[in-house]
Amino acid sequence: MILDIKDLSVVYQTDMEVVHAVNSISLSMEQGETLGLVGETGAGKTTTALALMGLLPERTAKVTKGSIWFDGTDLLSLSERELQRVRGDKISMIFQDPMTALNPVLTVGDQIAEALLLHNVEGHSRKEIEARVEETLELVGIPKERKKDYPYQFSGGMRQRVVIAIALVCKPDLLIADEPTTALDVTIQAQILSMICDLQRKYKTSVIMITHDLGVVAETCDKVGIIYAGEVVEYGTLADIFEGDVHHPYTVGLFRSIPSLTGSARRLSPIEGLMPDPTALPEGCYFSPRCKQCMDICKKQKPKVYEKNGHQIRCHLYQQTGTAGEMEGSGGR
Amino acid sequence: MLLSIRELRQSTRMEGRAVNKKDRDGSRTGKRTSQVSEIWRRFRKNRAAMAGLIILSIIVFFTLFADLIVPYSKCIDQVGAERLQWPSMRHIFGTDEYGRDLFARVIHGSRYSLFIGVATSLIALVIGAVLGASAGYFGGMVDMVICRIVDVFMCVPPILLSLAVVAALGTSLQNLVIAITISSIPGNVRLIRSVVLTVAEQDYVEAARSYGCSHARIIFRYVLPNAMGPIIVNTTMAISDMILSAAGLSFIGMGIQPPSPEWGALLSGAQKYMFSSPYLLLFPGAFIMLSSLSFNLVGDGLTDALDPKLKD
Amino acid sequence: MKDIMMDIRHLKKYFNTPAGKLHAVDDVSVSLERGKTLGVVGESGCGKSTLGRTILCLNEPTEGEILFYGREKGSYGANLVTATKKERKLLRPKLQMIFQDPYSSLNGRMTVSQLIAEPLLVNRICKNRAEVDEKVVEVMETVGLARRLAMAYPHELDGGRRQRIGIARALVLKPEFIVCDEPVSALDVSIQAQILNLLMDLQEERGLTYLFITHDLSVVRHISDTIMVMYLGKCVEMAPADEIFSNPLHPYTKALLAAIPIPSVDSCHKRRELLQGEVTSPINPKPGCRFAARCPHARESCRSAKVPFTERTSGHYVACCQ
Repeated sequence: MILDIKDLSVVYQTDMEVVHAVNSISLSMEQGETLGLVGETGAGKTTTALALMGLLPERTAKVTKGSIWFDGTDLLSLSERELQRVRGDKISMIFQDPMTALNPVLTVGDQIAEALLLHNVEGHSRKEIEARVEETLELVGIPKERKKDYPYQFSGGMRQRVVIAIALVCKPDLLIADEPTTALDVTIQAQILSMICDLQRKYKTSVIMITHDLGVVAETCDKVGIIYAGEVVEYGTLADIFEGDVHHPYTVGLFRSIPSLTGSARRLSPIEGLMPDPTALPEGCYFSPRCKQCMDICKKQKPKVYEKNGHQIRCHLYQQTGTAGEMEGSGGR
Repeated sequence: MLLSIRELRQSTRMEGRAVNKKDRDGSRTGKRTSQVSEIWRRFRKNRAAMAGLIILSIIVFFTLFADLIVPYSKCIDQVGAERLQWPSMRHIFGTDEYGRDLFARVIHGSRYSLFIGVATSLIALVIGAVLGASAGYFGGMVDMVICRIVDVFMCVPPILLSLAVVAALGTSLQNLVIAITISSIPGNVRLIRSVVLTVAEQDYVEAARSYGCSHARIIFRYVLPNAMGPIIVNTTMAISDMILSAAGLSFIGMGIQPPSPEWGALLSGAQKYMFSSPYLLLFPGAFIMLSSLSFNLVGDGLTDALDPKLKD
Repeated sequence: MKDIMMDIRHLKKYFNTPAGKLHAVDDVSVSLERGKTLGVVGESGCGKSTLGRTILCLNEPTEGEILFYGREKGSYGANLVTATKKERKLLRPKLQMIFQDPYSSLNGRMTVSQLIAEPLLVNRICKNRAEVDEKVVEVMETVGLARRLAMAYPHELDGGRRQRIGIARALVLKPEFIVCDEPVSALDVSIQAQILNLLMDLQEERGLTYLFITHDLSVVRHISDTIMVMYLGKCVEMAPADEIFSNPLHPYTKALLAAIPIPSVDSCHKRRELLQGEVTSPINPKPGCRFAARCPHARESCRSAKVPFTERTSGHYVACCQ
């Protein structure tokens, strides 16, 4: 197990209010796996990723409980200096917007080399580093002659390749990709996704893929966590989520919201209502105000996790009966 | 890497804020509160701005009721026996080299100074807004012509420009206002043009065009209100600048003619007695400082209060 | 006989840039049927947004004809390109637009009711304030905005509600034709579905005609009757929605369809043929097929010959040499 997040909670504190961004998230992943985190805006996906990187805004954000075990150490107990050594070397991150994630006044070669120089423990020479930069550029499909170019000379797709090259140059064990293709066109998205998958297979890197696009998840991930209001409401293998018999009502709603490419349903059946206010989360199950199958108990008591062969669902529907089979009609899509 | 980390932090902060905002509307009632009272409510919350407003009100009160406080004659009458007296119960600000009561001169001088400051910056604002907004909004030829004219004016130091205007028109209060206004228009045009350029790119401007808004309506209802922040701050700051340039012109005899009291003129007249009678500098100087400070504070407060996004 | 609402013929929009003429929309001809939706798909920079804006004359068209057959007397057969300012102003209420970004397309200094009332005031449609208020309330109800939100400012609302304001603002003038420029791409999936449903209900109720611009192929298939695929300012393929998905003819359309990530397990980890390279610049394009540089089937003739836009089967048009 390379990463084990246990019971992590993060709040953003301002003078006026406390935003509960992440509420007791537990996730784990094995070496070489891809974990997809799916959720809507404000669900807490990015906050979880930032907590992993130790990049939460110090002034407002606070980890209230939990631990993040990475390779046998608790990241939350490390000092800023120790974290810096892990960050960029063992764990690195790809940002959503390639247009702003690069420094416009440095050449892309220098920006890629930066990470190497910062983590240059073995004392590689300048020449070795240059060679590694060129190798990485070729790896992401950019001719190495272009390392002397500046970011503005690249198109959006190429810039995202540079961002990926920066993330991969230290051969990290864990790569966090925060909506890596949202800002790109479909044909470019397909190129980038297949490249990430290829590189992952080659280096056995573990990847956390944060996205709101279930299509991207289906193409890239092994395990999937569906996040709602800072909680993992459903977690399982790709097959569990996409083909399993039972689901959390939110997952069902998400799938029903996507216009189908094959079917011919004229009307979509979206989830009614809005995300709950993270400063005043509802009592009981957070999804209960929007849930079509809401019961009395949902409004009073927080549901526990129901689990079957590793497929976890946080919902009262399955606690009552205890078996999956009986709920097929209501939970399946 | 460093840069991207900072960006990332910023983006999370934004995300946190966006999250904050969600569903806030649930608590809003549909009651129609007038916009003025809404702005006033927001303004009141800003303590510094309120302090500025109080100081400003006191100064304005002095200005309006100057005649009731001390008769105008008091600041003209020269009393030979009471020259250069330090502040006392009889002359609370002391007297100047001709034995005139300084308190009366400062109070009556506020009429000239505030009038010049407010009038010039408002005129400069209106002209600057029309020219700057047209340049920024229409672009192309209009922009080119306006910018080149402004460039020509920018080449001349403002004080020389005012001097030239006064020299051509003759010295009077009216001409002083014209001179100072002209010298401050180019800066205003530049500032407003640059703010308008960014605002005019926004989608809501295009949306307004899509349902048939006229150019004038777009400029006055969409572009300028959204460009207001920097413009208001600039204008309030300009008021103090204007008071000072009026003072400068008066000092070299091109502005308000003695014996009319004007803060800048008082200040420059007091230079000779800087060491023997420092109070002559202190009081007019304090009034200039307090009034420009209060204008700035009020301007800052207004900027925030006028922006509905900063509510609560 | 089809009930045609708008006929666009050889529409061109070129922009002058320092590097040369940018062919944003290059010779696009299409007819829009009344009460139907024409979906326009393509990647960023293909000219789909410019097409929408040019049809509404927000950009002055360079060349071509836009014939509008309005329901009202006098607006039948008007050519928007040659129309005078005054004529355009009269036609304006009939042709409206919904913008992509519900954050920047609303003036943050106005309340919801002011925003929706604005088109009415600008076009002097109502006689008095009461009538304006009445219409605002009515249209807010139509798009599903609670009345208590009338005095709220847009930044206090979430993306979905903001987009509803944008829709209300377009609807309040009772238009016949609406250009929807990526109206759901800035929204979360569950909200996106709510908005799509709303748009479709409105179309049914009011017989609206949409030009639906998007880069999301699943959305466009869901809402459109006819789909037009654009590449570098040219329309490369046009066909009924189902036809284009079941039988794409142009290599670019095929590549586009293959690139969509499909949310089901069957298709996963089976990578199809990927399109290589990126969109080239639409500034001073070379003659011949604009897709030739990325096309896996390109031949020498593609790079020089004029590409015909032909009808292969009934209603299915393709611009390809092969």
